[in-house]
Parts: sequence; C-alpha cells; structure tokens
Amino acid sequence: MGRFNKNKKKNVPQINTAALPDIIFMLLFFFMVATTMKEVDMKVDVKKHGASEAEAIEDKDHVDFIYVGYPLDAAEGTEPRIQLDDQLALDYSQVGPWKMTKTREGYAVHELVTSLKVHEDVGMRIVSNIKEELRNIDAIKINYSAEKR
Amino acid sequence: MARRQLEEINAGSMADIAFLLLIFFLVTTTMEVDAGISRDLPYKRDLPEGYVPPVVHNRDILVIMANSRDELLVEDEFMLLENLEEKVRAFYTDNASGNDVNPLMPEYTVVTGPIIQQKITELNKQIELQTDPKTAALYKDDLEKWEKRKSTLETLGRPYNEISGAAVIQLKNQSNTSYGLYIDIQNILKKVVNDLRNEKCLELGWGEYKDLDEEEDAEKIVALKVLIPERIIEAKIEM
Repeated sequence: MGRFNKNKKKNVPQINTAALPDIIFMLLFFFMVATTMKEVDMKVDVKKHGASEAEAIEDKDHVDFIYVGYPLDAAEGTEPRIQLDDQLALDYSQVGPWKMTKTREGYAVHELVTSLKVHEDVGMRIVSNIKEELRNIDAIKINYSAEKR
Repeated sequence: MARRQLEEINAGSMADIAFLLLIFFLVTTTMEVDAGISRDLPYKRDLPEGYVPPVVHNRDILVIMANSRDELLVEDEFMLLENLEEKVRAFYTDNASGNDVNPLMPEYTVVTGPIIQQKITELNKQIELQTDPKTAALYKDDLEKWEKRKSTLETLGRPYNEISGAAVIQLKNQSNTSYGLYIDIQNILKKVVNDLRNEKCLELGWGEYKDLDEEEDAEKIVALKVLIPERIIEAKIEM
C-alpha cells in the first residue's frame, strides 16, 4: 500500500526556458509581417458592405482615407459624420482643403487615391457631396471601400 | 596570462522583453486588409461658351435609379437587384455581333484603320487651329480616345466592332439611398465588365484577364478597355 508514498518530497526538475524567447520572437515576427499599423483612431462606426469584386489596396502609401459613419461618442449626435484623420469634420466642405494638404512629392493630386470608408446605412447625399468636393480639386481617383467576399 | 572566465549572461528576462514587443504590436496593428472598388471620377471641364453637347440617343443610356427606400428603377421599370446583372450584360452584349438585333440597346459599329486615321488627322488640325483653350481641351480628350482605338486596332491586327461611343450607364440616387445598395450596384457593374473582359481575353487567346501584367501586357489591357468600356456617369442628387 505504502509503496506509492515512498518519496515524500519529490523534486520537480527545473523547466528549461532557454527557448522561450525564441518562441516569443517568432510570434512577434509573425505579427509584424502579417499585420499593418492602424492609421487612425476611429471616431465613427463604419460597418463595411461586402462586394465580390473588391480588390485589395496594394499601395497604401498613396491612399488617403475618409471615414463616414455614425459617431461613437454620443455627445456628437446620431447623424452620420465625416472623419478626416483623427478628427470629425464639421461638414463636407472641409474635405477639399484636407485633401489638398495630403500631397506627396512627385505625385499630382489626380494620381493619389482617396478611399471612402462609409457605413453601409449612410445615405448617398453625404457621399455625393464628398465626391463633388474631390472632383473640384481633380482628386478623381476613388476607391469605394468594401469587405472582400 | 590567465584567461578570465566569462560570466554567463542571464537571459531570463529576454522573454519578457519579447513579450512586451509582441503585445505592443498586437495593440497597434490590425489584421484588416483594405479592399474596395476603384473608380475614376470624370474630370471637371469648363465648357466653352455656346458648347452644344453631342446628341445622345436613348438607346445609348442605361439609367439605373435607386430611391430612398432602396428600390431600383432600371430604364423606367421596377427591378430587383438580382436581375440587374443580366440587364447590364444585355446592355453590352445584345448587339455585340454587329447586327442590330435589339434596337433598345446601344449600337455596335465597325472601326477600321482609315476611319481612325481620318479622325486623328482631323482632330490634330482642329487642335492646332483652336484658340480657345477650353475647346482645345475637349478636342484633346477626343484625340486621346482615338489614339486608344488606334492602339487597339494595332494590337488586334484587324478591324473590330465597337459599342457606340456614347454608350453610358447612368446612376441616379436619392438623398437617402443607402451606401450599401450603391456598393451593390457598383459591384454588379464591375462584375459584368470584368466578366466580359475576361471572356474577350480568353477568346483572343490571351489567357485570363486578371493574369495580364500591367506593364508587359499594357496594350492588351488598353484594347480590352476599348472593347468593353466602363463608362459610368452619376447624376447629382436631387432634393
């Protein structure tokens, strides 16, 4: 009976943790390669619509993003708002001047893409106004952001 | 000389450092891949005084209207979204053989070398004579289109049927038409054009359209874009 309790104190051997950093580094590199930096803090809720023909944006450095959706902060009301960079725009007339500040060396404004990330329930009026504003300054390249299906 | 025994460096905290970096990247990055439908808006052109827009026939325009209740009206007929693809396809293909089968859809005409040459010389002359920069800009736009046709003809090596130059799809929305529906419509238009270009591409023995290389096959892509043009105009939203 007592044969199982012969050694009262059992010494657990130390686990070798020398390989632990390697494993963590591997995970780290995976995440560094597979993910991209968040561009901005979202101030509006954007639920993207699905589209089968959506193509991934490859050259992200030459794309500016405009977000349109319902404000996350209840104090901002419930009407859809436009977010430019980290701020909510007062109205669409700010889009043109904002896009003009987004120049990049060696690129004309009509070569730089503007990606519209718009909540699927938002009405077309606001989108139409933004597009008109962009057209006025020749920023004609548009990407309608959609979830790839 | 006595060699000093090197002390072993304690690497116990290495994992902690790596963990810290890992967590930093987890928090500041996203997995999300940005995807979307690309479109070019038409340039804003100042029209010269007394400019008369070319006559556009009804058959050349496919009007797609979406109202505030997200209902579709295509060519003044109520339509479900599922049926739109077929209709858009018909817009491109009904008369593609060159025979005027369907008088309600855009006409196809044969484009030949002499026609292109004549047009290009004509336009070049017009541009030279034109003193008004606004009118000249319009002629230049036109010239560009004919240059593309010329390149297409050279790529194909034979005359081809082309859809009427005025053929256009017009989108009309209302103030509260949802963006989701708009994306659905744009997606269908893109799908039809991509499908047709792909079919044409296979027919010409160039392989799949999506496999064409932007630089190597530039002429082929231009040709396909001329053969299956993607012309969309959007009406301003009425109140």
